[in-house]
Amino acid sequence: MSYYFAIIGTQDNPLFEYEFGTSKQGGDGMARFTEQARQLNQFIIHSSLDIVEEVQWTNGQMYLKLVDRFFTSYISCFLTASNIKFLLLHQPPSSSTLTGGTSRTSTSIAANPTSPQTEEAIRNFFAEVYENYVKAIMSPFYRTNMEIRSPVFRARVAAAGRKYL
Amino acid sequence: MSNHLPAGAGSGGGGGRAGDSGLRYPSNGKTIYHRPLNRTKTAELSKAAFAYLFAEMVSYAQRRVTGIQELEKRLNLQGHPIGLKLLDLLLFREPPRTQLRPLNIIALLHFIKINVWTHLFGRQADRLEKSSNPDTPDEFMIIDNEPLVNAYISVPKEMSQLNCAAFAAGIIEGVCDGAGFPARVTAHTVGDTGEGGEMWPGRTVFLVKFQPEVLEREALIGAKS
Amino acid sequence: MSSASKASRLGEEIWKTRIEKVNAELVVLTYGTIVAQICKDFENDYAEVNKQLDRMGYNIGLRLIEDYLAKSNTMRRCSNFRETAEMIAKVGFKIFLNVTPTITNWTGDNKQFSLVFDENPLADFVELPDDGRAQDQLWFSNILCGVLRGALEMVQMQVETHFISDVLRGHDTTEMRVTLVRYIDDELPPEDD
Repeated sequence: MSYYFAIIGTQDNPLFEYEFGTSKQGGDGMARFTEQARQLNQFIIHSSLDIVEEVQWTNGQMYLKLVDRFFTSYISCFLTASNIKFLLLHQPPSSSTLTGGTSRTSTSIAANPTSPQTEEAIRNFFAEVYENYVKAIMSPFYRTNMEIRSPVFRARVAAAGRKYL
Repeated sequence: MSNHLPAGAGSGGGGGRAGDSGLRYPSNGKTIYHRPLNRTKTAELSKAAFAYLFAEMVSYAQRRVTGIQELEKRLNLQGHPIGLKLLDLLLFREPPRTQLRPLNIIALLHFIKINVWTHLFGRQADRLEKSSNPDTPDEFMIIDNEPLVNAYISVPKEMSQLNCAAFAAGIIEGVCDGAGFPARVTAHTVGDTGEGGEMWPGRTVFLVKFQPEVLEREALIGAKS
Repeated sequence: MSSASKASRLGEEIWKTRIEKVNAELVVLTYGTIVAQICKDFENDYAEVNKQLDRMGYNIGLRLIEDYLAKSNTMRRCSNFRETAEMIAKVGFKIFLNVTPTITNWTGDNKQFSLVFDENPLADFVELPDDGRAQDQLWFSNILCGVLRGALEMVQMQVETHFISDVLRGHDTTEMRVTLVRYIDDELPPEDD
C-alpha cells in the first residue's frame, strides 16, 4: 500500500504533506506512486474536500472513515475540532508491483483499503497524528492555517505511519 | 492544486529529516512533542501569577491604544488564539464516546459554558440565554456572575467602562470561530438589575452574536434532520 | 537544619496551605499570547521583545515582593546572598510557579549563581518560530529575569539577571544567571561602581 497524507487548512490550503508506504508484511515504508500518480494524488485529495464539506455539518465524529474513492485510490478523513482536514489517500499495490502476500490480502492493512482492520488502523494513525497536531498548534507562535514545518512533527507522523500502516 | 507546498515538502519514505527547517532541539528531547499532552491538564499555578501577568498584559495594551474600546478590542484579540487552541486541546481530551465536534449553536455554547469555563476558571459559567428579542435571533448570552479576570484588575475611575472580561470574550470568540461558527463576542458588566443582581456586582454577560451564515446553516441542517 | 532544606520545607508548606491556585494552562496560555503579541507589535525584533518582557517582569517584581513577604512571613533579611538564592528558588519560584529551580555554579566570591530550570511552566507548549532568528535572539521566558530584578530591588539588592541557555533554543538546560551587583543601603548615598 502507498499512502499520501495531507493536512488541509480552512482555506483549502495544504498545511502539511507526507508520502509513505506500508511497513506491514515486510513493507519497506516507501511509497510506490508513479510520478503521474503523485501529481494526481493532490488533485484527488483536493476534489474530495467537497465531499467532506457535505458531511462536515451532519456528522459530529472526528473520524469520518472512507469518504471518497477514485479508481484504486481511497480517501479517509479525520476532521479536527477546528475543522482542519486530515486526509489519507491509500492505494493498494497494483498487481504488477505486488511483491508478496498476494494470497492472503483480503483483510490485511497492507492491501485491502476497505477492511475493518484497515479502517481501525487508519483511525489509530489519525488519532496519533491528531495528538501531535494539537501539540503543534498549542505553540503561541502557531496561527491558523500556518504550514506545519516542525521536523519533529514530521518525524512523529512518519512514526505513526510505521506503527499502524 | 495551485497553492501547493514547494516540491519536496511531502517527499521522503519514512524519515524524520529536518528538511528546510532550521530549528534546533535539545538532545535530551525536551520538546512539546516529547511530553504527553495531558501532563498539565490538572496542574496548578498560583492565582497571583495569573493576576500579575494579566495586569501586565492590560497595562502593556493600554500603552499602545488610545481609548477604552480599542483596549477592549486588543484584549479580545489576545484571547482569541487561546480559544482556538483550547477548542482542539479540550476536544482531544474528551473520551472517544463524547469526542464530537459541535454541530449546532447549542452544542457549541454548552461546550464553552462547561468544558472551556471549567478548564480555565474551575467552574462552569452560570447561565446560557438566548436573546428574547425576535429581531436578534443571532444573539446568545453566556453569563458569569463573577469573572476571574475582573477580580484582579482594579479599574481606574476614569476608565470605569473598561471591562477586562474582554479577554475572556476573545477566548469565546476564538472557540466559536475555530469551530466554524464565526461570531463577535463582547463582554458587558450588567447593573444590579433583577433579583440577586446586587449580590454580583461584577456579573458579566458575554454577548455572542453569530454571523448570518451560521444561522442559515443551522436552519438548513434543522430542516434536513 | 540547613537553610536549603528549611527553605524547601517552607516553600512546600506555603504552596500547600496558603496559595490560591488556578489551572496552570490558563497562566501558560496567557503568557504565550502576551509574548506572541509583543513579537507581533515589534515585528519580531527579538532584542526589543526581550526588553519588553524584562520590563513587564520588573513591574511584576516590584509588586510581587510584598505578596511574597506576607506569604512567607519572612520579614527578616536574608543573612547572605547564598541564603537569598535558597529563598528565591525554593520559596519564591515554588509559591508562584510551583517549580523549584536548582541553584548551581556559584562563583568563588558568592556573588553569582545559576538557576537551572528542570521544568519551566511558562514554556510548556512552546516551539519557537522557525525564522532562523528566534532561536538565536529570543529569550522566551525573559519576564522571569525582570521579576527577580524588581523583587530583589525592593529588598535592597541590586542584581543583574539574564538567561544563558534555554531548551527552546535547543540547549539541554534552561539556565538563568543571577549576579549581585550591590546591596542598596538606605542610610548611605549610592556608591558608584
